[in-house]
Amino acid sequence: MKPEKKKFVVSSLVALTIASTLAGCSGNNGSTAGEGSNAEDSSSGTDLKPITLTYFSEDGSTNWNNMKDEVGKIITEKTGVTLDAEFAVGDPVQKISLIAATGNYPDLLAAKADVGKLVDAGAVIDLTDLIDKYAPNIKKMLGDKLVRTKYSLDDEAIYAIPTWSAVDEKKMKADGGFELQHRVVKEAGYPEIKTVKDYEKVIQDYIDKHPTDENGNKNIGLSLNGDDWHMYQVTNSGFQTTGGPDDGEYYIDQETHQATYHFRRPEEKEYFRWLNHMNDIGLLDPESFVQKTDQFKAKVASGRVLGLADPEWDYGDAQNALKAAGKFDQTYGHYPVTMSKEYKDTSFWPAGFDGGYGISISSKCKDPVRAIQFLDFLASEEGQIFNNWGIEGKHYTMENGKREVIPAVQQRMDNDNAAFQKESGVGLYWNMMVHYGDGIKDSTGNYFTRSFPEQLTASYSEPEKEALKAYGVDHWKELFPSEEEFKPRAYGAAYTMSLASDDPAVILGAKMKDITWKRIPEAVMAKPDQFDKIWDAYMKDLDKAGVKEMEEAYTKHVQNRIKLWSSK
Amino acid sequence: MKTITLGTENAYKKRRKSAWKQLKNQKYLYYMSIPFVLWVFVFQYLPLWGWTMAFQKYKPGIGFFDQKWVGFEHFRTLFRDEHFYQVLRNTLAMSFMGLIAGFIVPVIFALLLNEVRVQSMKRFVQTVSYLPHFVSWVVAAGIVSKMLSTDGGVINDILLGLNIVDQPVQFMAQGHLFWGIVTGADIWKETGWNAIIYLAAISGIGPELYEAARVDGASRLRQMWHITLPGIRPTIIVLLIMSIGHLLGTGFEKQFLLGNHLVIDYSEVLDLYALNYGLAMGRYSFGTAINIFNSVISLMLLFAANGVFKRFTNESIM
Repeated sequence: MKPEKKKFVVSSLVALTIASTLAGCSGNNGSTAGEGSNAEDSSSGTDLKPITLTYFSEDGSTNWNNMKDEVGKIITEKTGVTLDAEFAVGDPVQKISLIAATGNYPDLLAAKADVGKLVDAGAVIDLTDLIDKYAPNIKKMLGDKLVRTKYSLDDEAIYAIPTWSAVDEKKMKADGGFELQHRVVKEAGYPEIKTVKDYEKVIQDYIDKHPTDENGNKNIGLSLNGDDWHMYQVTNSGFQTTGGPDDGEYYIDQETHQATYHFRRPEEKEYFRWLNHMNDIGLLDPESFVQKTDQFKAKVASGRVLGLADPEWDYGDAQNALKAAGKFDQTYGHYPVTMSKEYKDTSFWPAGFDGGYGISISSKCKDPVRAIQFLDFLASEEGQIFNNWGIEGKHYTMENGKREVIPAVQQRMDNDNAAFQKESGVGLYWNMMVHYGDGIKDSTGNYFTRSFPEQLTASYSEPEKEALKAYGVDHWKELFPSEEEFKPRAYGAAYTMSLASDDPAVILGAKMKDITWKRIPEAVMAKPDQFDKIWDAYMKDLDKAGVKEMEEAYTKHVQNRIKLWSSK
Repeated sequence: MKTITLGTENAYKKRRKSAWKQLKNQKYLYYMSIPFVLWVFVFQYLPLWGWTMAFQKYKPGIGFFDQKWVGFEHFRTLFRDEHFYQVLRNTLAMSFMGLIAGFIVPVIFALLLNEVRVQSMKRFVQTVSYLPHFVSWVVAAGIVSKMLSTDGGVINDILLGLNIVDQPVQFMAQGHLFWGIVTGADIWKETGWNAIIYLAAISGIGPELYEAARVDGASRLRQMWHITLPGIRPTIIVLLIMSIGHLLGTGFEKQFLLGNHLVIDYSEVLDLYALNYGLAMGRYSFGTAINIFNSVISLMLLFAANGVFKRFTNESIM
């Protein structure tokens, strides 16, 4: 889109430069556009005739192996489908916009919250009939939750099969909250860690005693990952520590369903003031908002970062590196940290099944029937066990009706998960299938997923077990307020709502995001006496940019969703 | 009067005829250029059709004639956005800094390198200096931010070691340093490469000129000033004019990869602005409007620069 208008005849010397300049430009010109549609025979004779479906997903999949992994081969064998997959690199929204604009749609698309862009462009098809005719497994699993997959009140079509959120999930694994290295809590004698002050104290005590690691490199108190969209992770702690459920960038009143841009809550200001304080006393990594994700991960993997406030899926790779190096006491436990004891940590506030994110079939799909059958196979009991457990005899055994992971396999999962996943494919397909959550049993009476209590226990390392024992619990989850303490949200999780690209909530939302992502780091890194001033300016910026108008628009969407979901 | 007209007409005809003749004589050369002309047309001129988008309220998925036309609406939005002027300032600032540094430093480097007498040393230095050119910006930005890191970064270690500062400097977190960092990184990465062209031009200068100057008792500095520099002047000017045309289109990789939320007021450039506020938000038309603005300004700068140089130095690329 950046036309070069220069066409000169110059000396041959200069021609060389032109050549290299043009080559450089064509590099930025987005040659990455979804070159989907490869010429493949599209007639579907028998069901298992080999077919290649192209697929794009907004979420990365670092261990993707082009279905050459063991589980992938079996899936291909059973369905005839090979996926030619592409995963987003960097900001996926740009890629989806590009796909929508060029009309080069892959057969299958996972656009998450941006599916609205594709719906606007007519890029995805209504799946209602396809599910009805060809997808018995999906129908069975979703049952009366199928209504939650409908797009909107005005357009009750189903554009995405919800493959991200687990059905009937009873989460067993804590993977959020605040994290502390096991050695840090051990040194402090495993004190109660409930508030930011508790959290701060153990880190301060540890760092006072051990300012550097054995090689003389500085230990780091708390490091954040504020690279690009990872800012969401940084700012989510704002509502997490002040009793708000995760509804994306909004705080939604549970009675009136009024949406507030969550940074405008006075409670959250105090959280960011605390971060500012952490920075002031030198416990916050000064590079928190400067470092790139790779640098952040490298730092965590070095074992020098004592505390995190990050979801496990973000720092998991780094923690795996620590495990592989045998530094188990430098891996992390999860703690329900809030601003003060009056707030409950909301990590386990159930969203119910939230339809939301999922896979769509594009209007240019070679064979929508085969595509839905493929997705249906993955949703079957057989498909789910392949993904979650692997192959019988190779990855797990069935003895006396009990499914168990082979010990050698378990060891590889714990210590060398990346390579293991790449060759086995176990767990690689979780977000391509409608799936049951943790704690649900299959027809043989075994759990569908591998995170059930006994299995989780088996995966803990020694220092981790020691810490859990000291706290008198079996799993990290037990430290957190449980699901039963919260009232289910009538609208699921608000962030899974997909809005049209020209919706005021979307356009204003982008402006707010820019303001917030600039102001929050500024406020946190400032001198403490400057904090209030910056925060006031921040609030004024939001007002000026139309935050109230945005909140009103969003409130309406939330209320519409409640209406849609209560229809039958 | 009449004869004059006739005369010019004749001359015109004659010229035309000879032009045809020349064309015929060189027909193989023209045949050879066809693929390139086609290439330029397909990849550089056909996409200009997409500019129509800027005057529509473009929605993907529907035909060209079903789009809603909105005239200059998107340009009005653009020029009314305060943010846009900040972005424009950043783009121009970094471009000019890059232009000046990226033009002076390689010339000096080439001059100095040319004076190195030991051939093997010269080769070695040259190779090392243009190596970073082949490293992509992703990697280069990683190296730069690691070097400037407060957590074991080389620069901070040196500054601390020499007692110049007593606290590590947060290079990447300070907006006013960002332009300098980008320019510095650019110099490090491109100096060696850009110097190659000047070195090539220098080697084309006849040795007899130097010999004559030496006989006249010119020192090496004098030789540089009076022979080498004037010798490569045409090359310098052509390259300078061309880089002026690229002023607004410096790309966004450097800024994108080196920037962060703390320095966004200084790091956001036009291309990033088009990406974030155009494409990423599905505002295709707005994004196109930004790029049209970009192209028009580039073209104007190019012609202006060319005109100025033509007037003062008689060197021109058109």
